[in-house]
Amino acid sequence: MTSAVRCLLAGVMCLGAACAAAPERVLTISGSMLGREGQVLRLQLERFRRAHPDLRVALRDTPDAADQRHQLYVQWLNARVGEPDVLQLDVVWTPEFAAAGWIRSLDAFDPPTGELFASAVAANRWQGALYALPWFIDVGMLYWRTDLMPAPPDSLDALARTSRQLIAARRVPFGFVWQGARYKGLITAFVEHLGAFGGAILDEHGRVVVDSEAAVRALTFMRDSIHGDGSVPSAVLTWQEEHTRFAFQNGQAAFMRNWPYAYALLGTRESQVAGRFAVAPLPGGPGGAPAAALGGSTLAINAYSDQPDDAYRLIEFLLQPEQMIERARIAGQFPPARGLYDTAALAEALTVPAAEARRIIEAAVARPVTPVYSQLSSILQVSVHRALTRQEEPRAALADAAAAIRALLARLQLGEP
Amino acid sequence: MSRTRLSPAGRGSNDADARLAWTLVLPALAITLAFGFLPIVWTFWESLHLHDLRMPWRGRPFVGAGNYLEIVADPRFWSALGHTGFFVAATLVIELAAGLLLAMALDRVTRARGLVRTAVLLPWAVPTVVVALIWRFMFESPGGLASTLAGGSRFAPQTWFADPVAAWIPLLLADAWKTTPFVAILLLAGLQQIDRSLYEAAEVDGASAWRRFRHITLPLLMPALLVAALFRSLDAFRVFDLVYVMTGGGPGTATEPIALYTFATLLQHLEFGLGAALSMIVFVMAFVVALASIRLFGGRAFLERSA
Repeated sequence: MTSAVRCLLAGVMCLGAACAAAPERVLTISGSMLGREGQVLRLQLERFRRAHPDLRVALRDTPDAADQRHQLYVQWLNARVGEPDVLQLDVVWTPEFAAAGWIRSLDAFDPPTGELFASAVAANRWQGALYALPWFIDVGMLYWRTDLMPAPPDSLDALARTSRQLIAARRVPFGFVWQGARYKGLITAFVEHLGAFGGAILDEHGRVVVDSEAAVRALTFMRDSIHGDGSVPSAVLTWQEEHTRFAFQNGQAAFMRNWPYAYALLGTRESQVAGRFAVAPLPGGPGGAPAAALGGSTLAINAYSDQPDDAYRLIEFLLQPEQMIERARIAGQFPPARGLYDTAALAEALTVPAAEARRIIEAAVARPVTPVYSQLSSILQVSVHRALTRQEEPRAALADAAAAIRALLARLQLGEP
Repeated sequence: MSRTRLSPAGRGSNDADARLAWTLVLPALAITLAFGFLPIVWTFWESLHLHDLRMPWRGRPFVGAGNYLEIVADPRFWSALGHTGFFVAATLVIELAAGLLLAMALDRVTRARGLVRTAVLLPWAVPTVVVALIWRFMFESPGGLASTLAGGSRFAPQTWFADPVAAWIPLLLADAWKTTPFVAILLLAGLQQIDRSLYEAAEVDGASAWRRFRHITLPLLMPALLVAALFRSLDAFRVFDLVYVMTGGGPGTATEPIALYTFATLLQHLEFGLGAALSMIVFVMAFVVALASIRLFGGRAFLERSA
């Protein structure tokens, strides 16, 4: 009892001390604390505190779901709040935040972008200026079962053929599983199929080409693999990342499209496919090259922050090789620095073979770099899902989506010369 | 607020009374204004502006009826309205019919009445989100309860929530499961107000059970039925959480009701102006329905109930 009272008293006194020291500025950072990401970030912030005793650093809690974090950021930044000073952004948000004037250009700090994967840096440029630095790279990968086939398929057609054969032979109930629920993950899977067929959402001039012949072929292929040859189960139309991981982990699927996070989890004791799977680049289709969507997170500085220099010091610290390798080891996330992939330290830290990871990253394509990516994604989510659930023909669905996107861009005077 | 002169003592004391009355009413009035009236006015004002939080460079220009015109031209709005209308009609029919049956069954229970009624009300006490999650799990996966039960049937879809028609079935079932007990309890109260001697007289006259139901129960239960129908339709019109959790409005937007569309516009796309206009439309529609019902059924139904 007395010790509890003493604790309470000590707590109150600490609080008083904190209040007295309130004028001291606190550098704040917010980002995903999901799973092991929180663990590694706390660890590294503690190390940063020790290295910079003059700075006070604090974590700002934000929702785990990326969409909700996005909403919250937008509301904060509309209100011109200077906190958090350092923002973890999903790579597709960078142009949006840059165009809105919510994040500061990093060119003044002269960051060492030459050491990073060029595609990951390009996704963070807006109108020629760099607005964020890649923190870790997420990339779509093909998970395949080494006990069911000798080598991964080299094309989408081969993948479908192998799936059909394995299903017919009752080796697995499902062939290929990907994220097909109506949410942002569906557009990632769609972009990858688009790339495999040589299509795109926007071309290099920012023109809308999502209703091209290649795009119609890609979407038709996706629909037919669900409702035609059954190489993809119709259940994927309600599935997100974790649903597909459970199916693959329980040995129900021959192939899975997923992010790198699944690799470590599939190797654990709960997994029925531990030791019986590997990763490869997503296969290409007729007329296209293999195309994995390039995702991941970046670090940016809040434009309303009153301590941008300290904020950059924190970003610089988090991007040191030591921190990146630790993040790879604990959270399984790929570092954006190309050179690291040749080091023994990273090879030892990553569960995915480092050379394989590098090969997949170099083949990856960025999603459209536009300040209205989230709007494009919303429009396409509805149209693509309508086509996949056979409410509309792929051609009509994509024509609708293209018209809506063109109208949006025209209204905003973006692109479409 | 009519000012009648009560005493010839002069205006002075009257004014003092009025002032006192106003002072006493003021807090309640201020709260009503601040929390009821002001938000509506504010929303209306917002609905006349183009205001997209994601694009601050566009500012917040006044666009008059621009947002309303955009909504009227939007096919997604009309289909959301259609889905809402369908949901209201379908759940109303199912829940009134099932609720009436349940109420008549409850009316006959003679032993452990309190216990039975409490047990029946349980589904209604479960939070909607929990109900929605339970029903989603039953219908979601290929190994789910519903797909297993409907196993051999060739009418059962492989994936309920990926079929624009079949996706409605779990939605309607879940809503019926949750709210039928509420309707039943409302109707039970109505049933118990019916004078038993009417039935006895009808029986003596040789009226069949159907005729007794048709000519005694139904007409006398009408006020209770109307109240239940009004409550349920206004509630179903606002349906949000059930659909949000179970289908998210999908596949595509095949099960998206108006409340979910408003939510997506306002809080996911952060288009405040457009979302405010949608909210105003929903508000006005609910308001008109409520007013019309009160006019049609008369205040009577409510007065009798509260008496």
